[in-house]
Amino acid sequence: MQTMSHRLLPRFADGMGRAFLALILVFLYLPIAVLALMGFNESVHYALPFEFSTKWYEALAGNDRLLTASFNSVWIAVANTVIATVIGTMAAFALGRFRFRGRTVMQLLLFPPITIPWLIIGTAMLVLFFWTGVGRGLHSMLLGHVALSLPYVIIVVGARMASFGPELEEAAASLGATPVQAFWRVSLPVLMPGIVAASLFAFAVSFDQFVISYFLAPPGTSVLPVEIFSAIRKGFTPEVNAISTIVIFVSMGIMLAFARLSKFGGER
Amino acid sequence: MSVVEARHVTKRYGEVRALDDVSLVFPEGRFFALLGPSGSGKTTLLRAVAGFVEPEAGEILLDGEDIAHTPAHRRNIGMVFQNYALFPHMSVFDNIAFGLTVRGTSRADARERVHRMLELVRLPGMEQRKPRQLSGGQQQRVALARALVTEPKVLLLDEPLGALDKRLRQEMQIELKQIQRAVGITAIFVTHDQEEALTLSDQIAIINEGKLVQVGAPNEIYENPHSVFAAGFLGDANILRGRVENGIVAVEGAGPVAARGALPPEGSPAVVAVRPEKVRLSAEASAEGVNRIAGRIFQAVFSGTSVTYIIETAVGTQRAFRQNAGERIYGVGEAVVMEWSPEHTVVVEE
Amino acid sequence: MRAETRRRWAIAGLTGPAYLWLTLTIFLPLSAMLWFSFQRKGPFGRHETEFTLKHYEAFFTKDYLQDLTWRSLEMGLQVTVICLILGFPAAYVLAKRIKGRWREALFLLIVLPFWSNALVRIFSWTVVLRPGGVLDSAVQSVFPGAPSIDLADSWSAVIIGLVHSYLPYMILTCYLSLQAIDDSLIEAARSLGASALTILWRIVLPLAIPGLAAGAVLIFVPVIGSFFEPKLLGGTQGVVIGTVIEEQFTVVSNWPLGGALSFILLAIVLLILAVSYPFLKDRMRTA
Repeated sequence: MQTMSHRLLPRFADGMGRAFLALILVFLYLPIAVLALMGFNESVHYALPFEFSTKWYEALAGNDRLLTASFNSVWIAVANTVIATVIGTMAAFALGRFRFRGRTVMQLLLFPPITIPWLIIGTAMLVLFFWTGVGRGLHSMLLGHVALSLPYVIIVVGARMASFGPELEEAAASLGATPVQAFWRVSLPVLMPGIVAASLFAFAVSFDQFVISYFLAPPGTSVLPVEIFSAIRKGFTPEVNAISTIVIFVSMGIMLAFARLSKFGGER
Repeated sequence: MSVVEARHVTKRYGEVRALDDVSLVFPEGRFFALLGPSGSGKTTLLRAVAGFVEPEAGEILLDGEDIAHTPAHRRNIGMVFQNYALFPHMSVFDNIAFGLTVRGTSRADARERVHRMLELVRLPGMEQRKPRQLSGGQQQRVALARALVTEPKVLLLDEPLGALDKRLRQEMQIELKQIQRAVGITAIFVTHDQEEALTLSDQIAIINEGKLVQVGAPNEIYENPHSVFAAGFLGDANILRGRVENGIVAVEGAGPVAARGALPPEGSPAVVAVRPEKVRLSAEASAEGVNRIAGRIFQAVFSGTSVTYIIETAVGTQRAFRQNAGERIYGVGEAVVMEWSPEHTVVVEE
Repeated sequence: MRAETRRRWAIAGLTGPAYLWLTLTIFLPLSAMLWFSFQRKGPFGRHETEFTLKHYEAFFTKDYLQDLTWRSLEMGLQVTVICLILGFPAAYVLAKRIKGRWREALFLLIVLPFWSNALVRIFSWTVVLRPGGVLDSAVQSVFPGAPSIDLADSWSAVIIGLVHSYLPYMILTCYLSLQAIDDSLIEAARSLGASALTILWRIVLPLAIPGLAAGAVLIFVPVIGSFFEPKLLGGTQGVVIGTVIEEQFTVVSNWPLGGALSFILLAIVLLILAVSYPFLKDRMRTA
């Protein structure tokens, strides 16, 4: 009996644990699956039984508002990615390679944009941009998105930076490479996986950003999440499901690529 | 072949003096070891020669020219790093050719020279491997080849064998020395391992707390250490403290000790050092006479070829080292008398 | 010291653009909002600058603003506690009971939705929870005649949606600290005769506290600042301080009041961050 319970109990607990984990996964993915499925349902009112139809996706092609918003979203995300990756990598390089006064403060300054609720940051941007005449629009959304992406880029590239010491650059110097040659031929290639991961992350931060864009979008100009939000409020149709499905699969795809590159999550 | 010279080199990190007015000549074509405990400043000195540390004061001369403020990439000095610092994204060929290509050497010429280097370090045919596909010893050889291919004036090695296991380290010591001789380059290497310093180098500088402690050939420092630190850091030593009385050192609790060389003035304190392998042991009852101390075996550490005795005496714990030539091995608790010749007794500074 | 000067220029040149950007778009706006929260009028048209404390006074005199702030804190607490209860065991199973490639894949599967579009995920719950929606239909088909489930525009819907949004974060932080616990510690405890429960209580839990705390703070803070989640899922039931702030900027156009409320919220956030800084410090480095 004793030995029986010793062998059976852990196995039972293991089974329970796995079942629990499975339930968590169902909880996490069920609504997304429903959303995706309903985009393929014939009925406007999500009526069951399910009837397969691609008409909502076809309708998307004719929806100029959503198409313009998609174009704007991609445009801002690309510009954001380029700017945030370049200047973020520069900062990460300096923070990683040099020890100087103010370095710790600079590292701490990365956390307010991450931890302060976006509601507060977004409204504050609205106040300043409106006041100074920068105004609302795609340009101010871009300003805001870069600010939110920068800390992530600096942290992700910084982590890559920390994984190799200054010896590689010193080795290059001892072999006669100028600092510029050492940067282009040694540091940059070694940092590359981190930079690519960071740029994917920056793209996702912008592409999925709703709160900041919401406050900085003027009437008439919009990006996808803002457009989706107003569509939901107005009483949505499966068309919104269709575009939302596309959005969530794009952003999951990007993050999957990011995860593969950066191996985040402590798995080495 | 080139000469490197450090003149009054000083470097501080905050309040800590990593190098304090160090002057040292690294002679042409020699293998020179900088030996010291961690934090002694030996690595700072090497990095100052390499150009990664800028001294606050003093000069570093390479063939008579001061290079203390020349950027590292204009010095033409080869360096092997502690963890080799091979470029992980490049093949073995690209790693070794790096120093040539940044100087604009043609591809064909580079191929020829890399090929020759790989033969020298006995890794022919490895050009296309990536560093992570190599063993520790192979990485070490690639790092060496990379440092030598540009025909630098000086070769610097920072704890070059520290990452290897013991057997491989011994093999590499011999090979490293052969290659250095074959190339005929002035080499400076940093180590905290006294055995490595003894086997590899022609000259040793012992450094402690940013200061030069002693410079000389290995056997010279070993047989004639100037200080307690040098005696203890390079090899093992029994240290006896006493006072000069009637031209001899009186050690309280051990009787008179006669030493080689000049003693401090009459009546002043004196310290002497005796190497454990110079000590003879006998089972006599009395310890009357010069250079004799009675004691009791506290521990006998048997290592096959030898026995190291740790002996409790009235002047603290002392050591004696005996080759295992078939003599009787003393047991723990046995009374023994330690005895050694004045010829092997060195007066050292505190 | 030519090298030292060169170094300084390099540092300034490399960090300058990023930090200038952050200053202009994060720290300057926050300062501007702080300034306007003490002004009678927002930045519309020409107005004399006129210093006032009335927007802060409003918070302390109008009960409903305080009530809504409490409601936000309550929302934060409920979501955090539920995430803890669900997240810690899930992280434990993942870190200690599942091995190898499976673990990596499952971990990724759990974290993936967290980094994907938050708005769309909230939207998906409106589809599931609405009357005649998927949940309702499913229940009806299994138990015909059961009372209709209408969770749309309810407090429960808000909590469910927010838990769905932030649960992966809790699993992530707990998983990282649980994974760092050496299995030999657990084996050592077992060899000393500790029961599974004792091991959990005296070894695993204390060592996982930093992860739990980090997860709790990093969930609590954004939840009390949330506004579109309660708005979309709670309707009239979802009025919290976040939605009030949002409406000061988008509907009512009382920016100074919105600014004052934002800063009161920010003060609460900073207080929480300051208290939990020792826990967060390590986590920040690894995350």
